[in-house]
Amino acid sequence: MIGEKTSKIFPVSLLGAQHPAKNESDELVLKGIPSSPGIAFGKAFVLKPEVLIIPNIQIPPEKIPNEIERLESGLQAMINEIQTALDKVKSESQNISAILETNLLILNDEYILNSIRERIKNCFSAESAVIQEYDNQIKFFKNSMDNILQERSYELEHLRDKLLANIRKKITSYKIPENSIIVAQAITPTDVVNFKESKVKGIITEAGGIASHSSLLARSFEIPSVIGVRDALKLIKRKDCVLIDGYAGLITINPCDESKKLFEERISKESSHKRELGELIKLPSITLDGVPIKLLANIDSPDDVKSAILVDSDGIGLVRTENLVMSLKRFPDEEEQFTWYKEIADRAYPNPVVLRAFDIGSDKYLEGLPHLEKNPALGFRGIRFLLHREDIFSNQLRAFLRASANKNLKIMLPMISTISEIEQSKAILEKCKNELREKDIPFDINVPLGIMIETPSAALLADRFAEVVDFFSIGTNDLTQYTLAVDRSNELVTDLYDTFHPSVLKLIKGIVDAAKSRKIPVSICGELAGHAAATNFLVGIGIDELSVPPVILLELKKRIRELKFKKAKKTAKDIISSSSSSDLMKLLEII
Amino acid sequence: MIERNVTVRNRAGLHTRPAAALVKLAAKFKSEIFLIRDGFSINAKSIIGVMTLAAEQGCELVLKINGFDESNAVDELAEFFESGFGEQ
Repeated sequence: MIGEKTSKIFPVSLLGAQHPAKNESDELVLKGIPSSPGIAFGKAFVLKPEVLIIPNIQIPPEKIPNEIERLESGLQAMINEIQTALDKVKSESQNISAILETNLLILNDEYILNSIRERIKNCFSAESAVIQEYDNQIKFFKNSMDNILQERSYELEHLRDKLLANIRKKITSYKIPENSIIVAQAITPTDVVNFKESKVKGIITEAGGIASHSSLLARSFEIPSVIGVRDALKLIKRKDCVLIDGYAGLITINPCDESKKLFEERISKESSHKRELGELIKLPSITLDGVPIKLLANIDSPDDVKSAILVDSDGIGLVRTENLVMSLKRFPDEEEQFTWYKEIADRAYPNPVVLRAFDIGSDKYLEGLPHLEKNPALGFRGIRFLLHREDIFSNQLRAFLRASANKNLKIMLPMISTISEIEQSKAILEKCKNELREKDIPFDINVPLGIMIETPSAALLADRFAEVVDFFSIGTNDLTQYTLAVDRSNELVTDLYDTFHPSVLKLIKGIVDAAKSRKIPVSICGELAGHAAATNFLVGIGIDELSVPPVILLELKKRIRELKFKKAKKTAKDIISSSSSSDLMKLLEII
Repeated sequence: MIERNVTVRNRAGLHTRPAAALVKLAAKFKSEIFLIRDGFSINAKSIIGVMTLAAEQGCELVLKINGFDESNAVDELAEFFESGFGEQ
């Protein structure tokens, strides 16, 4: 729901609601990782996992040909199964078939197959040989420091188990009733294709990760999904009524009448809301002449991610992390921050999320913290405060890094005005990375580091800053106030506060040019990004990304889809060279 | 026999999809093709082998190729690495 805002800023997991006690109606709420957005309810369909097989069953030598034959026919059956799924999705999308094709490549890997055959020839049963060889390979994946590669170990495990079931001819073909919510230990991409055929409403698994191919398929088929739900198979029984919330990662089993009613209201609200937004949602953000502009969302809390997903944003362009401080009225510790950032990263996955370090000070004054200043906007705020309080800054950077393991986070520094502020921040970030490395904690070693450009000093030095950072985001509100020397909160001068002032537009153009010449992405996250009159100009100067509140994202997309880049480029040029304010207003089509 | 150093350029690293594409490319050549990371050597025609390298962005590997079409193979494979496997 757009504009919906709850006061609860913490995810449920942080409040200790993991597996709360049953109430009178037997309602039980479980928390997992949201891996595919959407909400639904249906009846549980529980898939029991295969019984474990012992990996070292010996066979007499005369049985070897028989075991080889069992391996080959099991393999062939499984290949056929994947091939059938592949034929079903061929027309859907290349990404989807690519996933199933890699599964085929893995199964057909000659080096692995030969090694399995060798093991059988050394008098092991077909099942034992498969387990030994796969587990040998899985070990390497599990030892990787790379989260996504660790993720692939689960996929190998699923393939191994499916292959074992095929060898044992234990593939029980089941018919899934309509409106089912699948509950399983783990699932393969082929399963997801079959679930879609059976019009499954939702998927709940105990294992798996958001970067897994199965999660990716659930997202592309728009099947709400929650993974990593501990004890799901134990707690959910066949035909239990289940509500699944793929935005927040929550599952309600046997909901009481009130929960059910609330949930039904949410579903109908969401579908009517989607209808209102219309077909614009699924259309690409692209100009008439084919230039793509990424549209991202500015948010303040994990709950806001849902509004960003509903309008189909390309990611989160700005998370104002200081909101966490404001709501707690103190600085959160590393653990609290990690949970909060991870929740946002998971909910938005696979889209990118830009986390801005605490921008404390100025109008975001925190009681008892920075000093009472005469002129806070020109004072102890943003990066100045963070570099002074290295303890707070390091805590935040470590929490950022720990939440970055799935590689969809970017870190952004606020209020940069000199190059030494970037260098000092980089040194602290490096220190934090080393601390995590020593503890074997996974994170994205190449996590992009960018800066806000919101002071005239940064704007004028943008070409130099572009050499040392990975991206820019222009904060037009502060840039305007500092360029025009107008305090935007002082009502005596508010009429002088003009984001469309030629000086501001000229600075923005310079920043974009600097970013382009160093080939780093540049976005705008200030109010100007969503301003109807600015879209033409911003597209015309070559901006790559605009980040706006989710509520106005679709309007912006509509405007972009009506623009011609070539024409916008010319208008932008005229705007930059116009000297009179009235000419400018005409060009911007404000009058 | 030819050896050449290559670097993983794409952001996501040598994960499943690039690994699949790399294996398919390697399979085009008759030569034996190995990829070595920190002394750990795998057959570049085995997808599971390539995946076990767990090569992330920035990771340096050695291509070791032996066979009559080795010079074509090394050029094409090195270029594939350089292009970031066609990803960002």
